[in-house]
Amino acid sequence: MSTSTPNARGRRSPFGTATPSGDTTLTGLQRLPSHTRYPLTPSRLVTATTPGTQRSTSRYTPRARGVGAPATPYGLRARQQRAANTPGRDRRKSGRMQRETTFDILRNLGRALAPVSQPIRSSPQEKPEPIEEPIDEFEQLDNEPEIERPRLSLPIQESEEEGEEASPEIHPPRMSLAFAEEDMDMTYQSVEYPRDASIRDRDRLSMMSRATGRISGDFDETRLESDGADETGIMGEDDEAEDTMMSGGDFDRGGETEDLGRFHFDLNFPSPAAAPLEDPTGGDMNDMEDFELSTAEAPPAPSDDDDDDAGADFGFGLDFPPAASPSVSPGIVGGGLRDEAIPAQGKQKKISRHGIPVPNLPAGVVKKLATRFARSGAGPKAKINKATLAAIEQASSWYFEQASQDLAAYSKHAGRKTIDESDVTTLLRRQRHINNSTTVFSLAQKHLPKELQQDMRLAMPP
Amino acid sequence: MAAVQKLYPRGTVKRIVKAHSNRSVSKNADILIFLDYMLFMQELMREASIRSRKSGEKNISANTVRKVTEVRCLRSI
Repeated sequence: MSTSTPNARGRRSPFGTATPSGDTTLTGLQRLPSHTRYPLTPSRLVTATTPGTQRSTSRYTPRARGVGAPATPYGLRARQQRAANTPGRDRRKSGRMQRETTFDILRNLGRALAPVSQPIRSSPQEKPEPIEEPIDEFEQLDNEPEIERPRLSLPIQESEEEGEEASPEIHPPRMSLAFAEEDMDMTYQSVEYPRDASIRDRDRLSMMSRATGRISGDFDETRLESDGADETGIMGEDDEAEDTMMSGGDFDRGGETEDLGRFHFDLNFPSPAAAPLEDPTGGDMNDMEDFELSTAEAPPAPSDDDDDDAGADFGFGLDFPPAASPSVSPGIVGGGLRDEAIPAQGKQKKISRHGIPVPNLPAGVVKKLATRFARSGAGPKAKINKATLAAIEQASSWYFEQASQDLAAYSKHAGRKTIDESDVTTLLRRQRHINNSTTVFSLAQKHLPKELQQDMRLAMPP
Repeated sequence: MAAVQKLYPRGTVKRIVKAHSNRSVSKNADILIFLDYMLFMQELMREASIRSRKSGEKNISANTVRKVTEVRCLRSI
């Protein structure tokens, strides 16, 4: 068909003229990629991608395609023009109404129902869940993420700066002071004061062995009943003067203040007591330390002289007991919290409380570590001068003292004579350096050089 | 740390711990002890730098270190 035209002698002539059946093979070849069949106009290419046109092309019978295919350039151009001008059979499907399929029906139904309908919940499935929960709770408790290491430094620091004397939270009870100072403080609590005072006076009277001539038992009784009303009183009659006299005298006697003192310290002690409880060094070591403390430096010994100066000790009572017993303890090394730095230089040979001379860590090592970590904290150029280094050395000597006492306690508890790797890991775990997510090995990998890591691994099989 | 030089003298650490605890230290436990010491130092320096920055100093002064040390004693170990 295409070969019949004389114009067909272009590129295609070899095919076309070869065989009469060349036509069919040609179309057969061309059929394979469906949209390359025509040297297409862009519009046709676009439409060919939509499924609708795909279907329409598949609807061509081979016969029809044979008819439609333009073999000559002229025919081709004519077809292109026609396709450009008129929407061909498969040019545009979108505007045309499509036949409704079952899918369309369902889709329309779905669109209509979507805003109205609720998702279906089946009732029996909800019941088993609450039964499972208690089990889950335990597992959750077990699998809870590790508690982060506490960083107490900032809050404590602030409170320290705020008030040296008293902690910010616990205020000393004001009642006693109000009574102690005389009529001045009548302004507040003045409603309660007279009645309260009178009752107290009666108690005190019963306590007191001596009886002044004027205050007889009868008088006291009457005052309780009749004068009680008056004593909301404004004016200092005889009675009021006596009241103040009485209370003042009692304070001189000291019974009240001692009570208050005891009260203070009952309040204070629970908080320090918590720390020593954790502390496994507890037991005998603490005892020994206390002993040494009391001999070496008397004043900070926490327990004995509380009763005397209750008010003055109040601030210290919070600060010292935990600090004093575990860390300051062996007075020989540290000397105390206050005087530092200079004695560290002076005493080259320190002696531990077991009487064994303690060598120092070489200053170079300490300085290297300090600069390394200071750099990571404070930027690239963190300098550490001599005094700072001395303070750090002091701190590290305290650290070693404390740590080795703890280690000794651990190993003793395990019934060993030597301090083992397991003791140190226990210590690390208590300090929360090790938890479920961090192992000794990861820490070691982070901080230690390889040889030491190897040695460590040799020592403790995982 | 690419330490050509040794990180720390092992014998010294062992002797320190031994002196304080009056117990012998097993062969490689000192490594772990020193590891713990490094962690301590890290925290010390971190706290000190925080504190010094808060008070507006450039470098870490001896005083800040001492303050931090006392705070640590309070909470410590």
